Amino acid sequence: MNGALLNIDRVALWALWAGLALAAAMAVIVIIVRLGLIAHQRFVRRLTRRYGPLIDRALRGDAGAIDSLVRSPSHYRLELARRLIFPLVEDRRPDRIAATRDIIRAMSLVPLADRWLRSRRWWRRVPALHAFGLLQFADRARQLVAALDDDNAEVRNAALDALADLHDPATLPAIVVRLHDTSLQRGRRAAALAAFGSQCEEFLLELSSVDPAQRVNYAKALTICGTVRSRSVLCEWTADAREAVRAAALEALARIGLDDRAAALAIAALDSSDVQERAMAAAALHGWTGGGDAPSHLARHLGDSWPVAVRAAHALRSIGPAGCAALRPYAARDDQAGVLARQMLWDAEAAV
Amino acid sequence: MSLTGVIAVFSAIVTTYFVIWNVWQMAMGAAGMRFVWRYQRRRNVRSRALVIRLASPPLVSVVVPARNESLTIVESIRALLALEYEPREIVVVNDGSSDDTLSVLQRTFRLVPTPLAFDQPLKTAAVRGVYRSIVEPDLVVIDKVSAGSKADASNAGINAASGVLVLIMDADTMLEPDALSRGVLPFLEDQNTVAAGGYVGIANGSRVEGNRVFDAGMPRSWLARFQIVEYMRSFLLFRLACASQNAVTIVSGAFGLFRRDAVVEVGGFSHNAIGEDMDLTIRLQRHFRAQRRPVRIAFVPVPVCWTQAPEDLPSLRAQRCRWRRGLLQTLWRYRGVLGHPRYGAVGMVVLPMTAVFEGVGPLIEVAGYVVTTVAALIGILDWSHYRILLAVSVLFGASTTLLAVLLSDLTSRRYLRGGDLALLCAAAVLENVGYRQLNSWWGCVGTIQALTGKSGWGPMKRRAF
Repeated sequence: MNGALLNIDRVALWALWAGLALAAAMAVIVIIVRLGLIAHQRFVRRLTRRYGPLIDRALRGDAGAIDSLVRSPSHYRLELARRLIFPLVEDRRPDRIAATRDIIRAMSLVPLADRWLRSRRWWRRVPALHAFGLLQFADRARQLVAALDDDNAEVRNAALDALADLHDPATLPAIVVRLHDTSLQRGRRAAALAAFGSQCEEFLLELSSVDPAQRVNYAKALTICGTVRSRSVLCEWTADAREAVRAAALEALARIGLDDRAAALAIAALDSSDVQERAMAAAALHGWTGGGDAPSHLARHLGDSWPVAVRAAHALRSIGPAGCAALRPYAARDDQAGVLARQMLWDAEAAV
Repeated sequence: MSLTGVIAVFSAIVTTYFVIWNVWQMAMGAAGMRFVWRYQRRRNVRSRALVIRLASPPLVSVVVPARNESLTIVESIRALLALEYEPREIVVVNDGSSDDTLSVLQRTFRLVPTPLAFDQPLKTAAVRGVYRSIVEPDLVVIDKVSAGSKADASNAGINAASGVLVLIMDADTMLEPDALSRGVLPFLEDQNTVAAGGYVGIANGSRVEGNRVFDAGMPRSWLARFQIVEYMRSFLLFRLACASQNAVTIVSGAFGLFRRDAVVEVGGFSHNAIGEDMDLTIRLQRHFRAQRRPVRIAFVPVPVCWTQAPEDLPSLRAQRCRWRRGLLQTLWRYRGVLGHPRYGAVGMVVLPMTAVFEGVGPLIEVAGYVVTTVAALIGILDWSHYRILLAVSVLFGASTTLLAVLLSDLTSRRYLRGGDLALLCAAAVLENVGYRQLNSWWGCVGTIQALTGKSGWGPMKRRAF
């Protein structure tokens, strides 16, 4: 047993040296990383002081400033490119984009971005795609579309961002056909459609006619970018055999707005057996003051399942005096319909 | 077996535990490092802009349970109303405050009683009234009878929330301006995301204005300094490692963003859970995995919010004993998940390791100190060897914490002053001499409290910034 203890002590001595070496190594790494961070911060401060005003002048078209940027040391170039390109994420004014693109070209950074786009490392391909998109290099559209089929998911999503930024209608089919691609993040798919807006509509309608199996996705897409042009198609889809399609079509109609035919279909859908469909039908009738006596139909649903009832209540409030009149008989009740009616009447009065 | 034999066997157990613990910490460090590396390359300025590019970003309901918070509540709400993320509503739940929290809110925000109707899928104590603000349309105040738990207040807030996502936070949590846009991203990227947590920083010693942390700095109190490095270790080693394997088992109560429908589906926060945040997180994992539905709980490795750490021993002791009771209760409740392959990395790795290192760990540590000291006192163990063992423990502990400090530098780049770095490094070493042992002891006390059924929060002193 003493031998065992002795062995443990030997291990402990060995562990002491290992621990000492590990702790010292960690401390050194922490200090080195910190020094690196401080050095980088100083570099960025120096760069900002020296090149910040030059960038502003260059963007205003000052040839001297552009020349100074072009002659900047090569190890400044990447940081300067970031400073020029990243503001374009929020500032999408065409003149600013064009001015930045000219400066980037003049600084000979395009070949570098091309090299990065062909790099085997995904973390090089991603910023290259973002740069080409933000700077709207239309002649790189083919490479951006090709990147949608990249092996790496990060690159594919970056390509989608880039195509949304590029805003080239020629690339629209490539985006729309990937509407159902679940390997692309759904937020990015929605953002790409939103970037093109109603430009997507025609292509979506065309595709939906040849691919009815994916109708629910097309209806959801039309919620983002549909206009009155889609209304008749969406009206047809409210008779689809699938509940999900009918609900999505009504949701899209709620966004686009109704006409008499759509309103009649929405009122009819209030009697559906599917909660989601009834809820979307109630949402679609938001603000509808046309024919069909929507207020009385909606009021019947104040005691329905919560998703339906709350939408019906909001729709009634939005209809104005006729909606409020339909709400009043319910306001004295103690149930869900009563509370909803009181809230909507209170909201209507508060708005006045 | 002789006393020497017993001690030798025990030493072998402690040594094995110690080796596995350190290997586990280093493995988590490596996993965390990889996670951070990927996160930083994925989250550039363009990808963070996804939220502003969407036609309609998801509405987030910020639920703020408040009980006797009349001194700080107005400032907290003003900071929330100034968040960069626009589609949000603030739902304050006055949980039976005995002070003038409600009247302060009524005066400041011109609240008026309203017949606000909302679905109530989660059972809570009675709601006494609902108020809306005339000056801040995004503010809703729920006044309810207290059920004595934050869980009940949070559930009432979730009921009233109209957002797709609900952020559950503490009334004294200080959010970073971009906390919501960062937190929302994982939900936009992956439709299987049901919750997202974030790195919670300690605000003691930092410059705070208008409920915002402007300049992170080290506090004067060593107790708070130790907690800063401890939080770094907890968030940047353990949680990052869990997140890298999609096996997060705790979304902090200080900042937890949840998909409302998922929370309602699992029944909301548990009323009788001591660690309601861990309880809900594991319940979400269990529920979705048991039904073989894809689930993701994300973690944002940059500070999304700041909280105040206790600077006095009684408050810290009460907090640690409560955390300990919560941990043991949760491990016991979800013992069916432990070692079950259906629950993936949660059941096979994270919970078993949590049970060993967090559940049993403090008991082994304290027993190790006692037995080693006794062995040295009665002459079985040489004093020089005793000192070596202690030094090894300190050095490995310090190495692990320094790894967490390194990760903190790489992710958040706070505490950038040289003096702060020196203090962080000193705290990383010194916390192993006294503070860690004290925590282990409190762990034992908490275990006894859990076994004897003790409840309650204990004293908690807070200081004004």
